Amino acid sequence: MTNKSPVLLCTCGKQLKLDYDYLETEISKLDLAGSVTVHDFGCQDSGLETIAELIGESEARLVIAACTSQKIQPRIDQYLQSLGKDSSRIAYVNIREHSAWVHKDPSEASKKSLDMIRGALARVEDSKSIVSETKEIPNHVTVIGGGIAGVETALSLSNLGYRVTLMERESSIGGHVVQLPVIAPTGKSGKEIFSSRLKALENDKNIDVMTNTTVKFIEGEMGDFLAHYISPDDEDEKTLQTSAIVLATGFKEFKPTMIDEYHYGKNPDVVTQLELSRMLTEDRMVRPSDGKPVNEVVMVQCVGSRSEDYKRDCSKLCCTFAIDNSLEILERNPDANVQVVYMDIRVPFENEMIYKESRERGVDYIRGRISMVWENDNTTHVRIYDSLLNQYLETTPDLVVLSSAILPSDGVAELSETLGYALEEDGHVKDLYGKLRRTETRRRGVVAVGAITRPQFVFEAVTDAQAAALVLHNELHGGKIEKVARGAVLNVDDCVGCSLCAQQCPRGVPLMIEQTDAEEEDEAQKILFKAAIDTLNCHSCGVCQSLCPSGATQLNFLSNSQLWSEIEAVLEGADHEYPITVCFYCEECSVSTIDIVGTQRMEYPASSRLIPVPCAGRVSIIDILKAFEHGASTVMIAACEKDRCHIGGTGNEIAQVQIDVARDILNAIGWKGERVDMYRMFSAEPDRFTNAIREMVKRAQELGPTPVHKGTAGKWMEAVE
Amino acid sequence: MIIYPVEVILVVTGPVLVIGAGVAGMTAAVELADNDVKTILIDRKTTIGGNALELYKAFPTDDCFYCFEGNRWRPGIRKCFYRSAMIDQPNIDLKISTRVKGISGTPGTFLVNLEVGPQYVDPRKCTLCGLCTDASEAFHLVSPQCQPQAVSYNPERADDGAKKAEEDCPTGAINLSATQTEETITVSDIVIATGYHEMKPSTIDEYGYGKLPNVITQLELAQMLDPNGESSGALLRPSDGAQVKSVMMIQCVGSRDENYYPFCSKICCVFALKHASIISKERNNSRVSVVYMDIRTYDRHERYYRETRDAGVEFVRGRVSRVEAHKDGTLDVYVYDSLLNKYLKFVVDLLVLSSALEPPEASNELISSLGLNSASGYVGSADPLSENEVVAGDHVYACGGALGPAEVPESVNQARAVVSKILQGRK
Ligand SMILES: Cc1cc2nc3c(=O)[nH]c(=O)nc-3n(C[C@H](O)[C@H](O)[C@H](O)COP(=O)(O)OP(=O)(O)OC[C@H]3O[C@@H](n4cnc5c(N)ncnc54)[C@H](O)[C@@H]3O)c2cc1C
Ligand code: SF4
Ligand code: SF4
Ligand code: SF4
Ligand code: SF4
Ligand code: SF4
Repeated sequence: MTNKSPVLLCTCGKQLKLDYDYLETEISKLDLAGSVTVHDFGCQDSGLETIAELIGESEARLVIAACTSQKIQPRIDQYLQSLGKDSSRIAYVNIREHSAWVHKDPSEASKKSLDMIRGALARVEDSKSIVSETKEIPNHVTVIGGGIAGVETALSLSNLGYRVTLMERESSIGGHVVQLPVIAPTGKSGKEIFSSRLKALENDKNIDVMTNTTVKFIEGEMGDFLAHYISPDDEDEKTLQTSAIVLATGFKEFKPTMIDEYHYGKNPDVVTQLELSRMLTEDRMVRPSDGKPVNEVVMVQCVGSRSEDYKRDCSKLCCTFAIDNSLEILERNPDANVQVVYMDIRVPFENEMIYKESRERGVDYIRGRISMVWENDNTTHVRIYDSLLNQYLETTPDLVVLSSAILPSDGVAELSETLGYALEEDGHVKDLYGKLRRTETRRRGVVAVGAITRPQFVFEAVTDAQAAALVLHNELHGGKIEKVARGAVLNVDDCVGCSLCAQQCPRGVPLMIEQTDAEEEDEAQKILFKAAIDTLNCHSCGVCQSLCPSGATQLNFLSNSQLWSEIEAVLEGADHEYPITVCFYCEECSVSTIDIVGTQRMEYPASSRLIPVPCAGRVSIIDILKAFEHGASTVMIAACEKDRCHIGGTGNEIAQVQIDVARDILNAIGWKGERVDMYRMFSAEPDRFTNAIREMVKRAQELGPTPVHKGTAGKWMEAVE
Repeated sequence: MIIYPVEVILVVTGPVLVIGAGVAGMTAAVELADNDVKTILIDRKTTIGGNALELYKAFPTDDCFYCFEGNRWRPGIRKCFYRSAMIDQPNIDLKISTRVKGISGTPGTFLVNLEVGPQYVDPRKCTLCGLCTDASEAFHLVSPQCQPQAVSYNPERADDGAKKAEEDCPTGAINLSATQTEETITVSDIVIATGYHEMKPSTIDEYGYGKLPNVITQLELAQMLDPNGESSGALLRPSDGAQVKSVMMIQCVGSRDENYYPFCSKICCVFALKHASIISKERNNSRVSVVYMDIRTYDRHERYYRETRDAGVEFVRGRVSRVEAHKDGTLDVYVYDSLLNKYLKFVVDLLVLSSALEPPEASNELISSLGLNSASGYVGSADPLSENEVVAGDHVYACGGALGPAEVPESVNQARAVVSKILQGRK
């Protein structure tokens, strides 16, 4: 059996300025190289046919040196798949965007290409075939919260073929929506809007509604969560096995008792906007203090919102609510006088037209702030500062309505302790990625819909719910999951029970399992908990691998030994005369940035050697030190922007820690910490990469030979003393 | 393990047509395809991605505009347009330079007549080798992020070089004699994802747009700020290429205005402040002022308001009454300040209009031919009482800008909701 891999070298229609003769000759000399094929169009039909032939030469090992794998890999995978061939052992080397297109000197670019091909050969040698696996999980989802978002999610999931249990803390479902007298822009009451869904819910045999039920905590993982809850008919905590969790616990209105100037809680005629909504819904439009009619109303916007003391951001809905409620008041009492004191009126899209209508119907808008509310002779007094007229006004309204901030409901933080989703500073559930991944949370199998993620209008909450049902359907596949098991694989025997992987996995995949039947002679040596990783749940970032002290968890497509032998091979012959900068780049935003640099034909020094990793978090301190051990002069990690990790979590923060520690080590042993650094990038700003690589190449030159180059490495203990 | 019995009756239905391949349309198509639904995705342009391709950086994440949500088999991994492999996805039939000519039939079996423009460059064959772009001005790469990753051909710039490129193209990707064709397809559902269009405010006299070169729109500003653009991201005056030292932005141009669009365009305050933030922090500290009626940075977008105020951006509440150009390229802008109750004069290098977002050209035709509701010219929901914003009619759905001004996260969420509804109807 052979460990050699065939190599396909693509010329891109003879348009790449590389020395193909040199490459062919040099590659043929390499121990790990099998046949070398130069082809003009790897991506066209003839190229695909050639690839299909080559894949059979060495147990599916193959190195393809061509343009960016980001473009051709999907086509090649698909073609091979249609022939029933294995494409999982192919390694790609980008000799176009990462070499020929960005370096002027063809011989330098050819040298760089050769080094990277040598690296890929080393990686492929020890690769494994990655196959499809199946697993069955209960086709059951638990929805927490019976407001409109929760109910709509339950209905959507049921329509998609899932069994749903809907748990609601209160005695009836409906949440806030049923308390609203009008829902913009429909003009209908919340009850009317909710009624058809209520009916659908009652008729749906796949949905089990549990009211008066409070979820205490949830443990487990996607496909196998265990929800602990208490229900009224039983004092004991009960559990329910479920495959996924929908958080739909909604919002609560801020109660501004601590803001002295409004006298809320002291004066019964000072109410919040939601309290006014309830008064309108229940047709109680009288002064709470004495039951007299309401004629004069002052509404105060941004109470607790847009304030450094309470909630910094805008609550989005309250301007529209205030206008809806003003119109509703005028509807019932055309003689009423409503004044709205505001900073900015914020009404999106067609709600602007309702704002205009309210002005035409006489609602008075005063730009300014309330400076004081007080009581005198059983009347409520309000002092308003009008910033347009720059003067103070005083009125004596029957009702002061505070448009109070919208906050996440209680209990989200507690549930996150075991569920591990992330929260925003304002306490709402954080999106996995703000631009594209609403409703998804950091934890796989947990979605959040409606106002628990941000203040939302009813129609937005409904959209959220429908979208989240699809997100879960994409994860659960109706209970029969069949997919390629590409990701972390744990060797339990090597696990030392440190729980680093479970703490740091961005998606909460590793679980610590109690070793109940561990038989150890020595009690003190016994490992009580060991990790368990379901590869099918894994996001393949490699964070756990870079942190694991015993190498127990490793990505099945990039083991430690694979990456180390690649590093060694890439750096073969690296010395101080041509100082080499190694760049580990994540195959997400960083590969894109580097590819776009290529497409734009931006130049950078050819002494760079690029090594792909799935996520920056895959790079460990040892990987960095290995690069120096084999002759690198400087090492950088290219990663996505802070808080924009593709995996949705913390991969690049972990990488930053590795870099910081590596720098401390280098400083401690007298190697100069500046030899390693981390850079963040995305493709809209390609010069982030070229600037970074120039800086690291400059440092490589300025810092001079490393102890490895000088042959003094290993004697650092003396150097420190 | 419990396996619950669930009765699933699979209704086999035909393919879905997605009209418009911006962020919303692409997301819908990929999600449908991943769920084994055959999808025909059309766009009238040669490059898909829609407005996003021209907008540089996006709120709320302040990274690129050029990605959308990945797919089921690699869950959650977002895809830059350039690596989205839309022409290689098994269930997606992508048709570029294609528009809808007519729709007939009934919900569930729509007959759609498509006008397919000349396919001069075969996107599967083009490798971006650069030979033709070197040989002729008629070929160009719309954007390094374009999808499909192929050059575009502009017949209006045809020259001898183009002929030669056709012969020399290493993969034979070029066919200059390609012509327009027509075809009729049968689809069971239609998804409208035709987006929005930024109004060109040349009819509003007081701003001088279209006459004064240093008066531009926010979309044009985004292109100036783009490091991949002509000026490599430097802020230069269109009139003479001089460095811009002061910028003024005017909000609600054509929006909240009975003469143009009575609605609020919803996102222009946020993207104006996003641009103000980039300029004041990342472009050699040019001075920025913003003339507004209300600043509408909803929800967490309030951050941009805080940050720009902290960065020294000046906010003037009022309206612009007049703009005059000087010989030296600067502009005099007269503003009525409603807080100070005074007329003020500002001298600026660049005036940026936050112009209304209007429905795209074909929106009205689609709405009338399918008998949909209109929301100020955008696609309205079929039954407002249901609060199902994405359901536009029987077997007709809409998402993204097609439903009214929307930000990217909303567009993606709506696209997913559409796919959810379609799949729900098929189970
Ligand atoms: C200046 C500016 C800045 C912005 N900044 C941000 C930001 O920072 N963050 C953010 O989230 N959002 C921002 N937005 C909004 C963002 O651009 C939109 O949310 C998003 O692009 C909408 O995507 P879409 O797919 O719905 O529409 P589009 O991007 O408009 O795509 C529609 C597609 O449909 C095609 N099409 C239209 N009609 C037809 C037809 N009849 N037949 C065939 N094809 C058709 C078009 O060619 C186009 O490709 C900004 C908008 C502007 C104007
Ligand atoms: S929606 Fe209006 S009242 Fe509410 S916080 Fe925002 S600006 Fe203030
Ligand atoms: S590879 Fe990443 S996602 Fe997978 S288990 Fe390890 S840390 Fe978690
Ligand atoms: S590089 Fe830009 S377009 Fe690509 S995934 Fe990252 S943010 Fe999106
Ligand atoms: S010559 Fe052909 S392959 Fe090369 S860029 Fe032009 S169309 Fe594409
Ligand atoms: S978002 Fe701002 S600029 Fe745009 S129309 Fe509304 S208020 Fe005017």
